[in-house]
Amino acid sequence: MPEQQPYTPEQFLNAEKEMDRLLQDSAKRYKTPVNAVFAKLSDLTKLTARDFVKWGRSNSLWPMQFGLACCAMELLDFGSARIDAERKGYLLFRGTPRQTDVMIVAGWVTKSMVPRVKRMYEQMAKPNYVIAYGECATSGGPWWESYNIIQGIDQVLPVDVYVAGCPPKPENLFTALMKLQDKISGKTAGDTEPSVSENIRRTEDSRV
Amino acid sequence: MGVMRINVGPIHPSTHGVLRLIVDVDGDTVKSVEPRIGFLHRGVEKLMENRMYMQSPSYTEKLDYVAPMAWDDLFVSSVEKAIGIEVKERAKYARTILLEFQRIASHLLWLGTFVNDNGQLFTLFMWAFRERAEVLKLLEDVSGSRMFYVNWRLGGLQRELPADFKKRAYALCDYLQQHISEYPDLLDSNPVFLERTRGVGVLSKSDAITYGASGPVLRGSGVAEDTRQSEPYYVYDKVTFRVPIGSKGDCYDRYRVRYEEMLQSIRIIRQALDLMPDTGDMIGMPIRLIGPNAKPDPVMVRRELPRGEGIIYMIPDKQRPYRIYLRSPAFANLSLLGRMSVNCKFADLFPVLGSIDIVLAEVDR
Repeated sequence: MPEQQPYTPEQFLNAEKEMDRLLQDSAKRYKTPVNAVFAKLSDLTKLTARDFVKWGRSNSLWPMQFGLACCAMELLDFGSARIDAERKGYLLFRGTPRQTDVMIVAGWVTKSMVPRVKRMYEQMAKPNYVIAYGECATSGGPWWESYNIIQGIDQVLPVDVYVAGCPPKPENLFTALMKLQDKISGKTAGDTEPSVSENIRRTEDSRV
Repeated sequence: MGVMRINVGPIHPSTHGVLRLIVDVDGDTVKSVEPRIGFLHRGVEKLMENRMYMQSPSYTEKLDYVAPMAWDDLFVSSVEKAIGIEVKERAKYARTILLEFQRIASHLLWLGTFVNDNGQLFTLFMWAFRERAEVLKLLEDVSGSRMFYVNWRLGGLQRELPADFKKRAYALCDYLQQHISEYPDLLDSNPVFLERTRGVGVLSKSDAITYGASGPVLRGSGVAEDTRQSEPYYVYDKVTFRVPIGSKGDCYDRYRVRYEEMLQSIRIIRQALDLMPDTGDMIGMPIRLIGPNAKPDPVMVRRELPRGEGIIYMIPDKQRPYRIYLRSPAFANLSLLGRMSVNCKFADLFPVLGSIDIVLAEVDR
């Protein structure tokens, strides 16, 4: 067999054309559209992999141990024995943002906390999700006209699920996490699109 | 080794809320602690000046979210004093019972998290939350809400107690008595727990008085001061109970004081249930667009909250407070953290912080 000559710069630049030529040659030789087969195979792999990743993500949602105010009491209750949260894959609350997927914003967010909450969000492993738990995180709640809070965490972070109530029961948080699971795994209508957080991250530079 | 400065918080799993601590350590020994607060400040007092009197309980409840009913009671009592309304006889008993149940729920939550801080992970936490869930269930059936009740009305309560309230309350007392008595098996006979709490975070009697500490922190240092006995309200003068005090003022004493207080609360509830009349009115005034006018004299009300002594000083206007000041016990107690944790190990800092039992929303207001 003759030794392969090193590619010239022209060949590098025309690699695409070269590839086409090779494929057409092989198609002539074997009388099958090889590039079509490759495309089909690639699509199949991508689909299977995407479903597999979705399944994995939606079944191991790890929340962050992060309480701001009153609603954190209900998070404690969520972690206790009455609601057995581990059966759905919401494992132990993790102490560091780097090991978590879900940030549950429980309580009102003051102006001095905003940069800190934002930094926690940025430290989380991607893709990550945000649940606004309770009235204060949703809209400011009873403090909406106070001079030192922001009217809802959605002014700073992209929120995936809102939970209403003051405070919502721990059962509501369980439902919210199930909805988030459906959203990730593509069972609900909102999930043909990627998560809100994924969308936003692409245009992150243009955001405040 | 030189002194190193460490920042802890404000978002930290074991600071019991958003508290920031500036800690100076020499090796592993804490030299000084400086709490930085204000991360939950939202101007409650200012907001309350712009609300009608009976719109404000939903603000005062969120001050101390571990025991919301206690602050609710403090505020509504000060309004009653300003307007000059007597509390109905049967409502006095009902309020006493509910407040004591709330105190038990608050101390149970404290105990579960405190033992967690000490490294005994989750066994007692699960136990305490099992009992707390039962208490909250009863309070939910009384008021209609699990955590924020808002069922205090001027002169009474929002609605009549459920028909089987007495029966259920007695049964709950038995249940609590039985299960709370099991806790010392896990704690007082556990060498690790004793080692980590005895002689740690010692607070002297004079320091506690000078800094204005109150509640279990003050009583743990050996001062028998309890507003329920020194200035009784509702039916606390008709029931007998003991005010537990500690001797050394360390974490163990504060744990012991709170533990004994839970048993004393059960005792108070049982006596109040015995004395409570079966018939009589206990429903307070409904919330109206315009309520009764208050007299312009300043009022001050003291109440024994689960965390210490809470005071409201209010200059009333006709329909809303002209000025209101809330004295939160947790704020005064937190200022003692620096005194308590000097020369303790860094790992003991968080149990000492936990033993004060702070609620940051009440500190920051």
